[in-house]
Amino acid sequence: MTAPFYIALRFATHRRRALLLSLVGVVFGVGIFICTQAQTQGFMQFFINSTIGSNGALTVRSRFQPRYQGMVVSAKTPAGIAQRRTYFEGITNVGEIMRVSRQFSNVIACSPVLRGSISVRAGFEGTTAEIFGIDPISHLRATDLANQIVDGRFEDFRNNTSSLIVGYRLADLLQVGIGDSIQLLSPGGEYSRFTVAAISRSGVAAIDQSRIYAHARVAQRLLKKPYQASMIIYKLRDPDRAPILATQFENLFQHSAQSWQDREEGNLQIFATLRISAAITVSLIILLAGFGIFNVLTMSVLSKIREIAILRSMGYRRVDISAIFLWQGALIAAVGSIFGCILGALLTLAISKMPIHIRGLLYANHFLVVWDWRHYFWATLLAIISVFIASYVPAKRAAELAPVDTLRGSSL
Amino acid sequence: MKGDISLSCRGLERYLGQEEERVHALRGVSLNVEAGSLHAVVGPSGCGKSTLLYILGLLDEPDGGSVQIGSTQISHLSDEDLARRRNELIGFIFQFHFLMEDFTAHENVMIPMRRLGKLSEEEMADRAADLLNAVALGNKLRRQSRHLSGGEQQRVAIARALANDPQVILADEPTGNLDTDNSQRAFELLANIVREKERALLLVTHNRFIADACDWVHEMKDGLIVASHPHGQRISVS
Repeated sequence: MTAPFYIALRFATHRRRALLLSLVGVVFGVGIFICTQAQTQGFMQFFINSTIGSNGALTVRSRFQPRYQGMVVSAKTPAGIAQRRTYFEGITNVGEIMRVSRQFSNVIACSPVLRGSISVRAGFEGTTAEIFGIDPISHLRATDLANQIVDGRFEDFRNNTSSLIVGYRLADLLQVGIGDSIQLLSPGGEYSRFTVAAISRSGVAAIDQSRIYAHARVAQRLLKKPYQASMIIYKLRDPDRAPILATQFENLFQHSAQSWQDREEGNLQIFATLRISAAITVSLIILLAGFGIFNVLTMSVLSKIREIAILRSMGYRRVDISAIFLWQGALIAAVGSIFGCILGALLTLAISKMPIHIRGLLYANHFLVVWDWRHYFWATLLAIISVFIASYVPAKRAAELAPVDTLRGSSL
Repeated sequence: MKGDISLSCRGLERYLGQEEERVHALRGVSLNVEAGSLHAVVGPSGCGKSTLLYILGLLDEPDGGSVQIGSTQISHLSDEDLARRRNELIGFIFQFHFLMEDFTAHENVMIPMRRLGKLSEEEMADRAADLLNAVALGNKLRRQSRHLSGGEQQRVAIARALANDPQVILADEPTGNLDTDNSQRAFELLANIVREKERALLLVTHNRFIADACDWVHEMKDGLIVASHPHGQRISVS
């Protein structure tokens, strides 16, 4: 144990009440920072998992062709790229695109989907829905649909081409359950009758209130489309790299490709804003704790002027005197961070058990949290930086005190 | 002369304060302190006694002149070097003893040893206990210094000044805050240690009897040593 550390320990324990107050500030700051980050990221992660689980991490859509470029170069606009393309609805060579894209190491699975809008009627209730014509086997590999079934059985849907899977909010709206009949209206004005084989819940309201899954060939017949698929959805090993893969796919297949980050940009921005807002609010607590520590250490320096002078007379260097007060700050930061992390974990655990009825953007029956070591790391780092800044000025001031002034003032 | 010169200074000059309040505190002070000898500096308040002591103790820097401790010339050293020499070569004793209030007597004596860093925790503890035994405080090792009497606190300060076995002991009115009995006892203790261990002692005092008991008495006035008397010669202490 170094001499400054030993003396810092003794000084710190001398002013117990002030030390405790500083410590409480750091503990609560770190604890609440961890807890709020766990919550906000919990909801965001749930949304991301749900949207990727339902719509894939990446989608390849309509084919495009570069437009003829005139001799005169037009002014650049944000939509410049889109303006230079001509899009053709549907995907050509679905099988070939899927075969080639499976060669990419990041691709786990892919599934063709024929998507369109359709009118739905059940009894006296009617609405417009989004039909997803899928190949049950490949879709199961590319999405979390199997886990999203909350009523009925996926196998019943797979084995019966005249059956459907209906989003749970749409089922509520249409007041249908398993085994009930639903009528889908084709663009030609013909109604076709289907049976509800299963009800799915992705957790994302926009999906659950509009989605109907049908077999691909049935959807193609209903929508009267000449092509088999209007998009291919991908399950990726590393969804964070979806934007890079989207660019590669566009260049390779000459089909538009969109990552989940682009697709959900608006919602992700809301979550990110909430996280930043929470982080700023909670950081203020840590900063306030820093001010508290600044006050405590400044008072400590003022009350220890005599001791500082005597330590200097015994051969302690300026750097040793600084170290004594920096060590005190470090002790507060270390102990505060440890207890803060424990408090953060306990608060996160308690909040994850707390019932909550969310039926808006997301579906949740209790608070959603994420256990991520990075929350603990950032909270601890923030506390250490804050405490270091708070300790630095008093430590520097202590080191600069001239011992002779104190000794002369006391002895003459 | 009793032995080799442990501490000496030549032509020390020191100005205190600034501009109109500037005071010429030392006006070319020269002094030799030999190992095993006791030197007293006497003089009226404000004559520069403490200023001289702080410069000799490397706590303050002179505006002119030089200081030598043993064979080492002390001039233009960094704060770190000065601190190291203070720690290794000098022991300070102050009028108000200046102990760490929340530390025990034992811990107080260990503070200079911790900075020196040459002994293990156990060795430091043993040495501190020996030093406190030598000043008759062996039974109060674990007592917090604020719970000791004035005389006991000053004895702890003496033990602490001897912690790193310094060549030179500097004492600024070490008995100024004690009653007559305790003053006498503290001085005798210090004198015995200095003579036994062949250390050099320079003390500033207003106490005539203590000054008389020293080997040399240096009279200061207006920043100058106006007279130096060996033991036995009559002096006037203000």
